[in-house]
Amino acid sequence: MKHLYRILWKDHSRTHLVWAFLGTLAGFVLLLAGIQFYTDLRSILAENRDLLDPEYIVINKKVNIGQTFGLDRPGFTEEEIEELRRQPFADRVAPFVSNAFPVSGYTENERFPDFYTELFFEAIPDEFIDVKSEDWQWDQGEETIPIIIPQDYLNLYNFGFAPSQGLPQIPKGVISMINFRIRLKGQGAGNYDDFSGRIVGFSNRIHSILVPLEFLQWANGRYGYFEESSPSKIILVSKDPTDPSIIRYLDEKGYDTIREKLKSSRMNIILKFIISFLVVVAGIIIGLSFLVFLLSLQLMISRSSEKIRRLNKLGYHYLEISRPYVALLMILLAGVAGFSFLITSILTKQFARMAGEWNLDIATSLHGIIYGTGMGLILIIAAVNVAAILVNTRKLCH
Amino acid sequence: MTIRLEKMIPLPMLEQDTTDSGIWEQESVLFEQGKHYLVEAPSGKGKTSLLSILYGLRSDYRGTVYLDDQDISQFSWKKWSRLRKEGFSFIFQGLELFDNLTARENIELKNSITGQCSPSRITEMASQLGIESFLNRKAGILSFGQQQRVAILRALCQPFSYLFADECFSHIDSQNRELAYNLIRGECERQGAGLILTSLNNTEDLQTDVRIRL
Repeated sequence: MKHLYRILWKDHSRTHLVWAFLGTLAGFVLLLAGIQFYTDLRSILAENRDLLDPEYIVINKKVNIGQTFGLDRPGFTEEEIEELRRQPFADRVAPFVSNAFPVSGYTENERFPDFYTELFFEAIPDEFIDVKSEDWQWDQGEETIPIIIPQDYLNLYNFGFAPSQGLPQIPKGVISMINFRIRLKGQGAGNYDDFSGRIVGFSNRIHSILVPLEFLQWANGRYGYFEESSPSKIILVSKDPTDPSIIRYLDEKGYDTIREKLKSSRMNIILKFIISFLVVVAGIIIGLSFLVFLLSLQLMISRSSEKIRRLNKLGYHYLEISRPYVALLMILLAGVAGFSFLITSILTKQFARMAGEWNLDIATSLHGIIYGTGMGLILIIAAVNVAAILVNTRKLCH
Repeated sequence: MTIRLEKMIPLPMLEQDTTDSGIWEQESVLFEQGKHYLVEAPSGKGKTSLLSILYGLRSDYRGTVYLDDQDISQFSWKKWSRLRKEGFSFIFQGLELFDNLTARENIELKNSITGQCSPSRITEMASQLGIESFLNRKAGILSFGQQQRVAILRALCQPFSYLFADECFSHIDSQNRELAYNLIRGECERQGAGLILTSLNNTEDLQTDVRIRL
């Protein structure tokens, strides 16, 4: 039998087979890596959506000149809030409550420089707040008000203000230990009360000075005398932040939001698109290489047609004649499978290492679906090629 | 096994005058297993066509060919393949050797699908044919006469009920021809096979059971 292989393999075109091999390999790596990363990405997206963090979007109206002069209402009306609530992308909606009385804060501590400032408070239901702290609660009669400030404020102080003024930087833990005084003023002179304030957490989600909703509702009832203003901000939770209708709706209504979060949703869409594109390109490459495979083998057979006829005359069955071609095909495809799994798993490890630096949790080994897809495709390519080999050798035989 | 031809004629022969042919369009022509036939004719009378039809390589003929009362035109692919491994052997006029294989490799190429002969048996037959010393040379550089003997040896490397030999001595001198013919006859007798040998008109000295003019 070895003579048969020698005779028939002699007529191969090395260039064709090498290109077919490399092309198929490249296509396979692209496809498998694409599927691998897509699988990871999808699970990350799914986690983000379902488990960790549905997108929290804070919406406000765009500030216009009319509001500056008090002609336009800056807040949301009841109808506007209701309408927003009815949108299919809106999972939960809550307006911000703000203080209806003057608030100020000051320090009364020898270890810190004197400090006085006018303040504002806002409140939203706890479920919208990303800080979970045991101290985050207030019951009527309690003297200490827990406060959450944006992480950005602390950063501004520690990395902007403090170094420029020669002041010490303050770690989070220390800040929560500082007690400062809060004064709430009602209408009329002498109508005020002092409380003590304590920062219990730092929010990455909400850019405002937050106090517990129960407290603010109580305080507004107790001290409030500003004209009942409509909420100027709304927090919105969306199950699917990748839904482009959110951005469309906001634009249409002239609402504003910090778009960073929606940008990341857009990034996800783009990433998905890129990977789908990758898979399509990989598909095309595989398709073309597959054709080169097919044609190379057919060319090889047609170059050997005289020899095949001769072998047939000597009593060789076309199945026996096909064997060297099938063997060659199998060797090449086994190479494609082996190398593509190897290269993809190396890429995966590299990618997982890089992703680890971005705090993305990505599998370091190939998913089962990769082996399944790879082997499935190899089998399909093998089956079609084997069929073509059999048909073509048989054609040459009597 | 018996081969029987009924009013058979290859289509290209229809244009020729075949009235005195001992085979073409005859009511019935019989080739019996175990007998040796010599089919003689000058070039272009269809010797190769006859053997090719019997071997299943050609089907452009009129009439019918029976193998044991079975019409060979109905034979399946599989059946022909088996016949060529176990039933019919053929020494081709065109030899059909592979130039880049050695003489021995050419023989082994056939022997590997039949498993008929041991390597020592191949060497033994080669020495009977006087080609033992060429066995390891590439077939392409052998003389035509030497190649012919390689082709003869190769054809004997299988079990067969009929051996078709198409002008297989054309380039072999009379001394070597006798050696080769004796080997062929010996192998046919050993296997109880029929021999159909075609030849031009210069083989009066060959001993056969039946001579037919084509």
